[in-house]
Amino acid sequence: MAYAVEVKNIIKKFPSVVAVNDVTFTVDEGGIFGLLGPNGAGKTTLIRILTCLMKPTSGEAKIRGFDVVKHPARVRRNIGVVSQAMTSDLDLTAWENLDIYGKYFDMPRKERHETMEYLLETVGLKDRARDLVATYSGGMRRRLEIARGLIHKPYLLFLDEPTIGLDPQSRLVIWELLRKIRSETKLTVFLTTHYMEEADKLCERVAIIDYGKIVALDSPVELKRSIGGFDIIELSLSELSPAIMERLRSMKFIKNVTEKESSVRIYVEDAAKAMPALIEEFKRLNIAILNLAVHEQSLEDVFIHYTGKSIREEEAQKFNPFVGPGLPRQMPGMRV
Amino acid sequence: MRALAVTERDLRRFSRNPVLMIASVFLPLVYLIIIGNSFQGELKHLPLAVVDQDSGPYSRRVIELLQAMQEGSRTIDITMLSDQKQAFKLVKDGFYKGVLIIPPKFSEDTIKNVNPQIGLFVDNTDSISANGIVNIISRSMPYVKTEYVSVRADRAKAQFRPVELFKKIDYDASLVPGAIVMAIFMGTTFTGAFSLVMDKFLGIHESYLSTPLTKMDIVIGTIISGVLITTIMSFLVLLGGLFITGLKLAGGVSSFLLLIFTISLTALGLLSMIFIILGRADHPRIVGVVIGFLNVIFYFPSGAVYPVESLPGWLRAFSAVNPERYAVHAMKALILKGSGAAAIQNDIIFLAVFTAIMLFFATITFKRTM
Repeated sequence: MAYAVEVKNIIKKFPSVVAVNDVTFTVDEGGIFGLLGPNGAGKTTLIRILTCLMKPTSGEAKIRGFDVVKHPARVRRNIGVVSQAMTSDLDLTAWENLDIYGKYFDMPRKERHETMEYLLETVGLKDRARDLVATYSGGMRRRLEIARGLIHKPYLLFLDEPTIGLDPQSRLVIWELLRKIRSETKLTVFLTTHYMEEADKLCERVAIIDYGKIVALDSPVELKRSIGGFDIIELSLSELSPAIMERLRSMKFIKNVTEKESSVRIYVEDAAKAMPALIEEFKRLNIAILNLAVHEQSLEDVFIHYTGKSIREEEAQKFNPFVGPGLPRQMPGMRV
Repeated sequence: MRALAVTERDLRRFSRNPVLMIASVFLPLVYLIIIGNSFQGELKHLPLAVVDQDSGPYSRRVIELLQAMQEGSRTIDITMLSDQKQAFKLVKDGFYKGVLIIPPKFSEDTIKNVNPQIGLFVDNTDSISANGIVNIISRSMPYVKTEYVSVRADRAKAQFRPVELFKKIDYDASLVPGAIVMAIFMGTTFTGAFSLVMDKFLGIHESYLSTPLTKMDIVIGTIISGVLITTIMSFLVLLGGLFITGLKLAGGVSSFLLLIFTISLTALGLLSMIFIILGRADHPRIVGVVIGFLNVIFYFPSGAVYPVESLPGWLRAFSAVNPERYAVHAMKALILKGSGAAAIQNDIIFLAVFTAIMLFFATITFKRTM
């Protein structure tokens, strides 16, 4: 079976940092693939390589079998891109934005206009199509950009943080929209996000990238299973000692125990079944439970498991001290 | 055609900025009015102090001549002073533009014909006023010994009569080609490469870089929209300039078409040149600085305000490769003289070669990746 995306040993080095460090993975045709990672993990760099906006230092990447370095024109015809920043023209109406974009792909007028009508209807902007984008809210603008990414009926759609900065309502609308598009077409979607809920709800497969490397790749369900346990019981106890930790670890139904300051996280398969035994045990040890929270293991836990809790020192943007941040920054490494 | 889609996008965006459109036509016209009225005025009412130490018949004759000038052309306003020292001080302090000293034996020397002299001391920090005073005084002095000016001219004397080849053209009217060149330059600075700089600044360039648009499509499409906008703007400035100065186009339809062609060609050349310089800039601040600089170095040595022949050697050498100079020369010929293609042939050849070179490098140096 052909792969929608094939990435082999891709490395992208900037003078001060290796943004993508020997990444290899494939994305099957159809469905939504999610690429997760903290800020500065290399998500956007990887997307830019796959969308021919940047050349890799080494390695190979193919979209629908076309090499991104050797055949960028072919790749561009096959992909739709919704970049992280809002990139629709504020001075133009939604209709004009789509129409002009369609012309970039040499679409004949009739086909272009039919697709535009359909997409505007789908993203719910039909009534506002003749208004300037400057009058749009962030969510509307994002929906327009998704429509624009689909105007030429691409084989693969890249969505770089599609719901960043949007309110929960707009986010739900966009999720609905993506589900609808997925169910109606054979489109493959390649999505990056750092909203775990988003990846969990939308993606069939998820890759976690950190420090330029893929640290995990599987379906959300499998990823959750891989870190052990399905439910997490978080407890604050009146006392906590290595002996207690040892005792907990020895209990059969407990998959894993982690400790943080005065609280313990206990990973179990079924919290409802585990609770009575746990409470009994603490009573026996004469330890009071000060606080208790149970939550189902989420992709967030998987994410934290693989990427740790520390906040990333993001690479400072370089700028030329002689002319300030307005210098042409296209030299390699000036913008990570 | 994809490049035309780029053009369409630019034109539509520009049409959503009516204030910019009005300002872009209005500013070169304001400029025309201000420069036209700042430099062309004749000198009037220059204050001149006169110290008469002679009080003889011929010194009175000199003063009469000065008074005649004061009443007639009103170039000077004379004030009689008795103290020479005080007169010098007043010139130094800026109250007078000059002082005329008639020495004690002036009348006697004049009668004896022994080289009579008058002292004229001018404030040469204001060289234009100083030259004005020197000119009119030296023109009038030969008449000191003449009681009346003969009506009949001396037949033996050679006569010099300047003949103006073209219809009388005021200084402000002669600036119309300059105002158009300014409009072209302005137009090329906020269209073309500038719209790409703004795209980068706003971060929206990513959207078209991931489409099949080629480097050529982006460069050509952007420049075409720039040429269209600039040509229309310059044409409106031409109409406004003609209206303000009362000038009429000297030539017929063919000169007019050549004029529009020259404007478009100049716009194309300048847009391509600016594309090379700003093709990689991503902040409007850079544009502001670069454009201010380019405007001065191209505009003033172009002959738009003052003849190129007045420039020192090094500046004239630069002016020889200044596209605006050729544009001004061609437009002066077409607007003021109504010349045909032959008169502007060299200008067009230069502009065409310049444009071809610039366009070539604009396409080569433009980078399509992020």
